[in-house]
Amino acid sequence: MDDTDYMNDDNYYDDDDDGFSDCDDDDDDQSIEEESNDRQNYTVLKEEEIAKLQEDAITEVSAVLSISQSAACFVLTQFNWNVINLNDEWFADEDRIRQKVGLLEQPVVQFNPKNQRTICGICFEVYGYGSMYSAACGHRYCGECWRGYISTAIKDGPACLMLRCPEPPCRAAVGPDLISVLVSKQEYERYRHYLLRSYVEQQTKIKWCPAPDCKYAVRFDSYETRSYDVSCLCSHSYCWNCTEESHRPVDCETVRKWIMKNKDSSQNAQWILVNTKPCPKCKRPIQKNQGCHHMTCSAPCRYEFCWYCLAKFESYSTRCCNAYRANTDELKELDLEPDQKKLKEYLDRYLHYYERWANNQSSKEKAVESLEEVRTKHIMELIRKQQYLSELELNFIIDAWQQIIECRQVLRWSYAYGYYMPEDERLKADLFEHLQGHAEYSLERLHKCAETELQPYLASEVELKESFHAFRLKLENMTRATKDYFRKLVTALENGLSEVDGV
Amino acid sequence: MAASQASLLLQKQLKDLCKNPVDGFSAGLVDENNIFEWSVTIIGPPDTLYEGGFFNAIMSFPSNYPNSPPTVKFTSELWHPNVYPDGRVCISILHPPGDDPNGYELASERWTPVHTVESIVLSIISMLSSPNDESPANVEAAKEWRDRRDDFKKKVGRCVRKSQEML
Repeated sequence: MDDTDYMNDDNYYDDDDDGFSDCDDDDDDQSIEEESNDRQNYTVLKEEEIAKLQEDAITEVSAVLSISQSAACFVLTQFNWNVINLNDEWFADEDRIRQKVGLLEQPVVQFNPKNQRTICGICFEVYGYGSMYSAACGHRYCGECWRGYISTAIKDGPACLMLRCPEPPCRAAVGPDLISVLVSKQEYERYRHYLLRSYVEQQTKIKWCPAPDCKYAVRFDSYETRSYDVSCLCSHSYCWNCTEESHRPVDCETVRKWIMKNKDSSQNAQWILVNTKPCPKCKRPIQKNQGCHHMTCSAPCRYEFCWYCLAKFESYSTRCCNAYRANTDELKELDLEPDQKKLKEYLDRYLHYYERWANNQSSKEKAVESLEEVRTKHIMELIRKQQYLSELELNFIIDAWQQIIECRQVLRWSYAYGYYMPEDERLKADLFEHLQGHAEYSLERLHKCAETELQPYLASEVELKESFHAFRLKLENMTRATKDYFRKLVTALENGLSEVDGV
Repeated sequence: MAASQASLLLQKQLKDLCKNPVDGFSAGLVDENNIFEWSVTIIGPPDTLYEGGFFNAIMSFPSNYPNSPPTVKFTSELWHPNVYPDGRVCISILHPPGDDPNGYELASERWTPVHTVESIVLSIISMLSSPNDESPANVEAAKEWRDRRDDFKKKVGRCVRKSQEML
């Protein structure tokens, strides 16, 4: 694709009377505002920061209820870290709460100074009184038996946060103060870890990042938002609300339905969607190894076609294939019972959306790899070969790839949106397909340009200052235009395509 | 607690029980070389349906006893709401601590390391006198105990006679 094509393509879209194509300054302002809103919506919390929040809650309760920090911590775990509930119930009936959670004011077993030596009730060995330990109740056991008791509880899991005195009818709380002096540092760490988890799990506004082994949590600070997209410090981006991948423009419920559906149908779909397709002209199998859908068969065939619809590529610009059209000709040819026909159409329709949904993910993954390659290799190489360039000037390539990655994600989920579009609302479906078609076309163009047009400069041993400048302008324009198309797509879909309501 | 400590504690209890036997049961080892497998004979408590029976059971202790509970399994046939058809005893103190997912048992009634062979067997004896039909191990026996007490009595009587014949 050369520059002239690019200009023509633009004209194709600008001539279209969709009323969306002009990107003017107002829109840009709006987009800046939207982005800054998104940024302020959440905070990534490190473990220390969560521990601090937890400590603040403990300190507050300890001060308000006049109990020790350890007792405050224990009672809070029993109240699911709900300070307000705890305060209400405590001040309504302190004795009942103390009884319920095992916070004793007085020991039930008094220390008798005459009994300097005591039998441990677990191992039946005799110990000096001072070398034994007890909770607030005064039931004393030797250090070794306590250690065994507490370690077993910690090994068994988070129920160790509700540990009680081993004496059968006694329910005295065994809190962090006693535990910290009795067990190993490692075991105490584990206990603290359970405490932290119990705290986070009870917070309505804080959730752990779902990425494997990630130790961060994300606090969502505002509920007046459409998007729950967050990006954790571990670089995992996801929807805070449902913890699935980012899925604008569709809502969490649609995502859940779609994922369930794919689970049911995926064996079928994956069996059909093998990784290769035969070239429509020479029939040699072709494996898709790059991100964009403009395929070129290898020499001597050189046939160019669209990966999805297998149409010759030159016709791609006039016939987008993002919209599902039942293949009526094929259906007519097949000698099928009416039921089978219906089933086939149903499956074809699902496969249409599933394939595009799945493919955009692999395209996105390839784009992530490409971005990494640009960052670690291409930029350095360019600076070496094209001496007039500085690193800062090359940021536009990174911007383009970041835009591609973001748009692939949106385009992916727009296909789940499409699958669930009510079929009887033809106007909406038309608008959706129109917007999606523009967005997809724009993204394909950008992806293709970023993927192929940098190569000559990496390969060239001579400086190509003039043409590089043109490449830069082209890529920057495409990045901007694509971003704009996708913003419109997301806004329109999140509004439920309300533009055509009442038409 | 290491296995050696568990075995020391069990040996101590075995010695104590030999020196000062407790009314209602006798206890010994299945195999002299294995302190973790006990054989106990429980005498059916007087004034109960189980009176006159001699019921054998095996107690198997884990290596981290007393921090985890033993399992108890009757080898004699026993018709009882809290004994599984295969003989395993289901009472709350033999369940590990922590919250009961079914909410039937208070954490305070569950296993704690202060329990000994003696306190466990005494709990089983008390279970024989007063079955708990709220969370039965043997649903049939529980239903019968609740609704058809005569049938229940007959079956228990058969178990008692069988246990006497085995002596």
